[in-house]
Amino acid sequence: MADLGTVTRTLLGIIRDGSDDHALAQQICQACMDGLDVDGAAISLLTATASRETLWATDATAELLEDLQFTLNEGACMEAAVTGNPVLVPDLHHSTEIARWPIFAAAVAEQTTVGALFALPLQWGAVNLGVLDLYRCTPGGLSTTQWHDALAAADTAALMLLGQRTAPGSDDDGDHGTTAAAWLDHALAHRAEVHQATGMVIAQLGIGAADALARLRAHAFVHQRLLIDVARDVVDRTLVFTENPT
Amino acid sequence: MRRPRHEQQVSQAFVQLADTLVDDYDIIDLLDRLVAHAVTLLAADAAGILLGDARRLLRPVSASSDDAQTIELLQVQCEEGPCLEAFETVAQVRVPDLARMADRWPRFVAAVEDAGTFASVHAIPLRLRGQAIGAMNLFHRRPGPLSDDALALGQALADVATIGILQERAIRRGEVVNEQLQTALNGRVVIEQAKGVISQRLGVGMDEAFARLRHFARANNLRLTEIARQTVDGELDTDLLVTR
Repeated sequence: MADLGTVTRTLLGIIRDGSDDHALAQQICQACMDGLDVDGAAISLLTATASRETLWATDATAELLEDLQFTLNEGACMEAAVTGNPVLVPDLHHSTEIARWPIFAAAVAEQTTVGALFALPLQWGAVNLGVLDLYRCTPGGLSTTQWHDALAAADTAALMLLGQRTAPGSDDDGDHGTTAAAWLDHALAHRAEVHQATGMVIAQLGIGAADALARLRAHAFVHQRLLIDVARDVVDRTLVFTENPT
Repeated sequence: MRRPRHEQQVSQAFVQLADTLVDDYDIIDLLDRLVAHAVTLLAADAAGILLGDARRLLRPVSASSDDAQTIELLQVQCEEGPCLEAFETVAQVRVPDLARMADRWPRFVAAVEDAGTFASVHAIPLRLRGQAIGAMNLFHRRPGPLSDDALALGQALADVATIGILQERAIRRGEVVNEQLQTALNGRVVIEQAKGVISQRLGVGMDEAFARLRHFARANNLRLTEIARQTVDGELDTDLLVTR
């Protein structure tokens, strides 16, 4: 389709080779550094239980930014995670930003040379996977093109990570590559029936949305069917998930 | 007389929409009201809105009916059809007789024929500074073009949708458009997930599940998307949604 951004194109071209979350996060961060004129990037997962894990940080500064925010419990990334909205800070030394996160801003100024921060939530409906953080040493906002690309990249990265975390079975299976690629097919991942079926499985099994999606994908994988077809059966009530894995 | 009644309906619709825009409103709720008004005011049999995401791919966000056929007709237009054309050309697309368009949009026309209900379709772009951020779709059972007056009214409704998306929160910096689009699109996902939860818990169809969710949000003056998120996260007791 029309103007796909550099980073998004790179992400869509990444061959899924059964690599884990960390390797995938590394590739996403690297693509952002290459395409968005930022000095560093990090991806942290945030779960409902307030625990967190930094999957990848491109350098010590990016890692420190993550650690500071989680320790101080404030900052752009924390805000993006809580609100589900992107948080852009083109000039971290500006007084209004300092007022927003006084302790975090002071710590960043003291311990790093970071001038600008951009935090993009990685989400799929009610599922908040985590945050993609980007930083620059010199203050300055993302250009319109970069911003466009960054949002699309975060959207794609969220689908990739979610796909990775909910991918069924062994990665050695030849079919799996196809399944993973199919999941990334935008039109499929955003079908209304897939979301509705996810909701029904949440209620059927009393589990979270990411786990419900994982069960749907596992079923599709085991029975060699398309996710959308399995979702339609669930919505039509011809397929009901029970405690025993199907 | 049909005319005065129609004019009254039009002004009531815009007064209601203007009232909505003043408050801290939910964008999905606003778009839902918009498609309902579009059906009534333009005597359509179905209507829907698709928005372009950060990848410039269209995604359905609102439909006057949640039946599978209507959703499918919106879904297929992410790849071809009048909505995609309106989105790409930023111009209204009139298709008074769908049967004659099979060469141009084979998959879309096939989907319409499968649905078996609609004979004509119109697509109106959601315009912003010479670009389109999405498109509104109108389906009619009868073949034939909409009048220029009707299309102008449809465009006014589409413009309200654009304004609603842009104003949902205070406009800041230049990036607001994409950010708001992304928020609206993700809101749609949360609502679909919530409909599934409600449908399963209460044993009702998706249409009814959405009607109850919407009724509860409006009756309690709460944001639709927030209520949906609480439903998915298990923070809202779905037994509260038993009445509508």
